[in-house]
Amino acid sequence: METKEERQGLNFYFFFCQRIDKEQEKNRRTIEKSMGDKVRLFPIPCSGRIEPIHILRALEKGADKVYVLTCREGLCRYREGNLRAKKRVSYAQKLMEEIGLEKERVELINLKKENGMTIDTLVEDLVGKKTNIGSSPLNKPLL
Amino acid sequence: MITAERKPFEEIKEMVKPYSKLLVVGCGTCVAECAAGGEKEVALLASALRMEARMENRVVEIDEMTLDRQCVYEFIDQLTETVDNYDAILSLGCGAGVQAVSDVFPDMTVLPALNTTFLGETKAPGVWMENCRGCGDCKLHIFGAICPVARCAKGLFNGPCGGSKDKRCEVHPDTPCAWHMIIERLEKKGRLEQLNNIYPPVDWSTGQGKGPRKIEREDQMI
Repeated sequence: METKEERQGLNFYFFFCQRIDKEQEKNRRTIEKSMGDKVRLFPIPCSGRIEPIHILRALEKGADKVYVLTCREGLCRYREGNLRAKKRVSYAQKLMEEIGLEKERVELINLKKENGMTIDTLVEDLVGKKTNIGSSPLNKPLL
Repeated sequence: MITAERKPFEEIKEMVKPYSKLLVVGCGTCVAECAAGGEKEVALLASALRMEARMENRVVEIDEMTLDRQCVYEFIDQLTETVDNYDAILSLGCGAGVQAVSDVFPDMTVLPALNTTFLGETKAPGVWMENCRGCGDCKLHIFGAICPVARCAKGLFNGPCGGSKDKRCEVHPDTPCAWHMIIERLEKKGRLEQLNNIYPPVDWSTGQGKGPRKIEREDQMI
């Protein structure tokens, strides 16, 4: 398990359904400002818009951990968006395992609460959460 | 449509290992429709290869390009300006595409990233079914536009075999019995009498079995 210092050095990428927070535009800017380069946030109109390539590119560009945040199953405005996101995250994980990258580097979170969540608090909680994931092997300097 | 599936990553990895400058080339036609070799799949494979090389401390340059069609010279020609910058091309085209690219650039190593499988139809999102064997002697007008050569496991021209159960094939119980479908469709159209004739089996010797087939049309030639 990584130390607090190590965790603070990790880069987090968040793809999130922008419907989970009505004030996402303002809250996203707030958290981006306070956390700086260690977080990158990508609002998407529905989590069903996520594609495996978004996840792979995020990892390739320096993410140590990628989160895909979706609304609760059964509550997608477009009916199946979060179910599609789940399948696409699984596919991306399969590709990651093929190249020897831990599948835990991407995680889909199906948010349980129906309202009252703000993206800045969600990001803060997830960045502060303990994980077994250390720095990505892709971010280490070439020998 | 020609369908294909990506080769196992390990096999691709071994194939591309000797090359440090690689161009991954997709095809925007058939293999894009079956989600094996279009722009998205090119991006995924190229990204995976770059990351895998990075984790193994290998310095590689892997670029991406997708042609509208990889089996037609006019489209392949788009590679002419860039091809010399690479050690090899990893093609996500069907077998015809790989060979066409290699014919146009005979000095370039062209590697296949896909296993070409069959002529098929998109049955539902994510489901592709073989429904044409390319026998060269189409009899679909007789069989209600359902091909017994491709869709009957036994390829019977005078079915059904009698082994189907609950409208399913006895060889592959997941597959609907082609002959059940043929009879149902002809019955509905009032053309069941078409099956009173005895049809000889496909004469494979006229086309296949004599090397690669070729179509030549004077009116299309320049």
